[in-house]
Amino acid sequence: MRISKAGLLVVLALLAPLLVELRTVLSWINVELTVLETAVVGAILVVAVLVWAFLPENGNGKTAEGDASSEN
Amino acid sequence: MSNAYIDDFPAEAKVVRTAFYSSFLALALGGVFGVIQTLHRTGYYRFIDSADYYTVLTAHGVFLVISFTIFFLVGVFTWAITTSLDRGVEDLRFTWGWYGLMAIGITLSGVAILAGFTDATDISASVLFTFYAPLQAHPMFYLGLVLFVVGTWLAGVDWFRSWWAWKAENPDERIPLPTFMVLTTMLMWYIATLGVAAAILVFLLPWSLGLVESVNPLLTRTLFWFFGHPVVYFWLMPAYMMWYIMLPKVSGGKLFSDPLARVVFVLFLILSVPTGIHHQYLDPGIAEGFKFIAMTNTMFLLLPSLLTAFTVVASMEHGARQRGGEGYFGWLKALPWRDPVFTGMALAGLMFAAAGFSGMINAGMNINYLVHNTFWVVGHFHLTVGTAVALTFMAVTYWFLPQITGKALWSRSVALGQVVLWFVGMTFMSNAMHRAGLLGVPRRTAEPQYDGFEFEAAVGTMGELQAQIALGGILLTLSLVLFFANVVGTALNGRSDDLPANEYAGTLSGPEDAPLVLDNLKLWTAIAVVLVVFAYTFPLLSIIDRGGLFGPDINPFPVSLETVHLLAFALESHVTGALESVAWLGVNR
Ligand code: HEM
Ligand SMILES: [Cu+2]
Repeated sequence: MRISKAGLLVVLALLAPLLVELRTVLSWINVELTVLETAVVGAILVVAVLVWAFLPENGNGKTAEGDASSEN
Repeated sequence: MSNAYIDDFPAEAKVVRTAFYSSFLALALGGVFGVIQTLHRTGYYRFIDSADYYTVLTAHGVFLVISFTIFFLVGVFTWAITTSLDRGVEDLRFTWGWYGLMAIGITLSGVAILAGFTDATDISASVLFTFYAPLQAHPMFYLGLVLFVVGTWLAGVDWFRSWWAWKAENPDERIPLPTFMVLTTMLMWYIATLGVAAAILVFLLPWSLGLVESVNPLLTRTLFWFFGHPVVYFWLMPAYMMWYIMLPKVSGGKLFSDPLARVVFVLFLILSVPTGIHHQYLDPGIAEGFKFIAMTNTMFLLLPSLLTAFTVVASMEHGARQRGGEGYFGWLKALPWRDPVFTGMALAGLMFAAAGFSGMINAGMNINYLVHNTFWVVGHFHLTVGTAVALTFMAVTYWFLPQITGKALWSRSVALGQVVLWFVGMTFMSNAMHRAGLLGVPRRTAEPQYDGFEFEAAVGTMGELQAQIALGGILLTLSLVLFFANVVGTALNGRSDDLPANEYAGTLSGPEDAPLVLDNLKLWTAIAVVLVVFAYTFPLLSIIDRGGLFGPDINPFPVSLETVHLLAFALESHVTGALESVAWLGVNR
């Protein structure tokens, strides 16, 4: 895994503001997404993040260090 | 045996614990009212009377921004003083005394508000947390607020006493940073609360007791905002304190700069109060020039927040690099995301950045006209007090609970889920509130109607905005449930003697780098007072000059349905009158 489970959770959470703001920003260039379309874009992003996260790093399959290590 | 707070200061730990539990009770009540009003407003589930909406809203506002926040912060401050001076409180009975006063006060106010739900008594206080005249509450409401505030004043005295005693023993030492933060915050609070004390004691309380006939609403409003702006810093400064002294520690590093932290708190002390008029840009009766001065001060007030953003991020990066983080952005991965204390505070800080942007819009005199009193404002302050403060408080609770109970945290994973869920829920709710506000959707409205005629939302539809708000509100409520599960679960745990020690972050650049003048509290207080005198003397004088101290005759407005009918009737005859004359003009053109 490329990032820790907790890191992944936070990245997924950050997709929420990205998604709701994206819908507004796209409307400025006259791309108006429906709720359903926004949800589909969201699902694609989630899948993309998951695929990226679970791909082995440089093919050597080592887990990310850092926050996997212990803290207080 | 561990080195937790409760081991060193068992008696004080009990005070802090009691203050925290009082605060959580208020959070629970406030949360329940929050979801009731969200579902009512958005039309998803209505089981209360329309008129009761305002009682719910008052309870939500008062319980959350007065009791939840302030009970929590007096706990944090007591912890900060005792820990950083390494001495117990001077007189435990005095400490329990101010806590008791606060508890009695808020109970009186709370009962007055909740009594508004029943017809059994004629007590009510559905005046919203701003209690603007001519809305009038039962005297018990005002009296309770006064006692509560006096309790916080005495709490400040308690902390100053500790500091004086410590200084007598350590004459040559710098004020420890957490103590410095508590003292500057309290000085700011003393100045700020003079406004609300005057508003209540001189005007509103005598008026609700029937001792004086009427009040000058613009005057009491202005006095309210004299206090109403700085109170937001009373909530924020403890959160900032946590970002300065806890966040670097949980990130695995040190605070980047102690001097900068002191500068920030001094700036808050001197700039928080002379800005309150920025809440009154739309009030007729205050000259534009005074509003302009308030706007200028407000823009300066951005500075300490920007300094905080810089110092906090720098400290986090330092911590991450200590933990082996590398690269321009790669260090972000090395942060302890698994730790709910860290993640909660980091997400709270991130939302505060967004709140800073909507805040700048509120602060601009001209753009304010666009968003004033709309749902935008509600979206804004759910990011500030509702997240930057509330989420930080909830996150540090996960560190404090073991310290003050001596018991291990019930579940770290649930805690992590809780803080992340708050972030996601608030994203949905506040984004939709901001956008609805831009379309002119009003705040403080039980049932805004957008059906049956054409109303174009900029993106999507009105119904979608409502749905997004309701969705966010439900996620937030779930998050609260998880929070309380953890608080209760921890309380039910047995004592543990394997707890982290009671410590806060060290510094990279310490107090020895801070100019001595920064610790001159008298000087900063004097400057703060002078600025307040400059900002408020003339506006207040001109308000009194025009409207009189006790105002022109106005009718008190206890919120009852009869008055609403009366008002509707008055409005109707007014409007038909106006329409008739317009029609008459049209005919005669
Ligand atoms: C479960 C979480 C929450 C939900 C669902 C929620 C929902 C709402 C809604 C919908 C309103 C606007 C009602 C209207 O203007 O008609 C509101 C107002 C307000 N909320 Fe919240 N809120 C939550 C948490 C909080 C928190 C944590 C705080 C502060 C610590 C807070 C402070 C306030 C204040 C001060 C008001 C304004 C009251 C007034 O206008 O008099 N809320 N809330
Ligand atoms: Cu303000």
